[in-house]
Amino acid sequence: MNVAANTALDRPHDPSTATGIPNKKLLLWAFLASDCMFFGTLIASHLVYRLHPPPGNPSPTQIFNIELTSFSTFILLMSSLMMALAVNAIQRGQVRSMRSSLLVTITFGLIFLGCQVFEFNDFVFEKHVTITNSIFGSTFFTLTGTHGTHVAIGVLWLTLMYIRSFKPAGAIGGGWVGRAVIHLLVFAAAVLLTMYSALGFAHAVMAGDGNALPAYFRSHGPAIAGALLALGGLRWLGRARGSVDFDDRNANDVESMGLYWHFVDIVWIVIFTAVYLLEYVLPATPLR
Amino acid sequence: MDIPLPADTPGHPHHPSRYNVYVQIAMVLAVITGTEILLIFLPFSRWLVIGSLVMLSTVKFMLVIFVFMHLRWDKRLFTAVFFIGLILGGGTMAALISLFNAGASIPLSAQP
Repeated sequence: MNVAANTALDRPHDPSTATGIPNKKLLLWAFLASDCMFFGTLIASHLVYRLHPPPGNPSPTQIFNIELTSFSTFILLMSSLMMALAVNAIQRGQVRSMRSSLLVTITFGLIFLGCQVFEFNDFVFEKHVTITNSIFGSTFFTLTGTHGTHVAIGVLWLTLMYIRSFKPAGAIGGGWVGRAVIHLLVFAAAVLLTMYSALGFAHAVMAGDGNALPAYFRSHGPAIAGALLALGGLRWLGRARGSVDFDDRNANDVESMGLYWHFVDIVWIVIFTAVYLLEYVLPATPLR
Repeated sequence: MDIPLPADTPGHPHHPSRYNVYVQIAMVLAVITGTEILLIFLPFSRWLVIGSLVMLSTVKFMLVIFVFMHLRWDKRLFTAVFFIGLILGGGTMAALISLFNAGASIPLSAQP
């Protein structure tokens, strides 16, 4: 079987719309088209200001950590793969497989955000580049911060879809909503505590001081314990509980969410080349 | 381009699995990213490297939108809607960079 033979099957007709095109997907594509223009102007602003850097502007290649950025780029690409596999699974009615893929996608998204927090922290406190003290800082933090916000919104959307997939068949009202809210709170606690612990650990390792690690475990002990507890709670809340109101009829919702996630990935593909790699090939030269 | 796909599972004949296609594309994307990083450290001509980076990024971009985002198999209208935004956004970028590349646009704060 080849792709051409599948074409008709891949274009489901939606009888509820005049065009036969699902409204949600059309809305998402229109939104992504508008976001292209939004990011286009942000990237252009960064590139325009790097043409004529004023005196005192920092040299980007001296502050970039290309190894870290390459790693986070790879992680975001792999998160796109997992998102595609999640859509593939739900289209075939495999809810458990979709949940696993969504969880890995969420984890990869959080790793990317963790790398960005680490990078911003390094820029501000070690390299002394802030959003207000140079044009480079203003355009760089605005562009990558806006992209990071998109990633954070995507992670939240993925999490809500993951929790939604546990809705019991025939459930209506209070009980299910209450359990979903608890699930979301435990998820948020697990994410925040794990990221706090992991970033603290990274800083302790980077410090290269013999006392840094013991001090880290003393100061972050409660956070590590809380993270483990919250992860245990997630495992308990994510156990199989009979039939659910989530199957291949929800494939359109998951696919729409996937479109957003892949878009975040393609924006980063452009940012990685235009903002990071370009600086190593064509460094901006201050006029004086 | 016909991409070979594995056969359907008996339970869901209407959605052929693209598992292998997605994994293969992800591997290609990873290799391209590695090549991009390698390129910036190689002693080639500056414009050759820049041209290669632009081309490789475009290939990655197209692979993600046409395979991962299903434009390859989906309704043509989605491709049209997205490319309208892409062309407008790309055109704005090109126009701004061309405009501000002129010497007369050097900001006063950057002039000697």
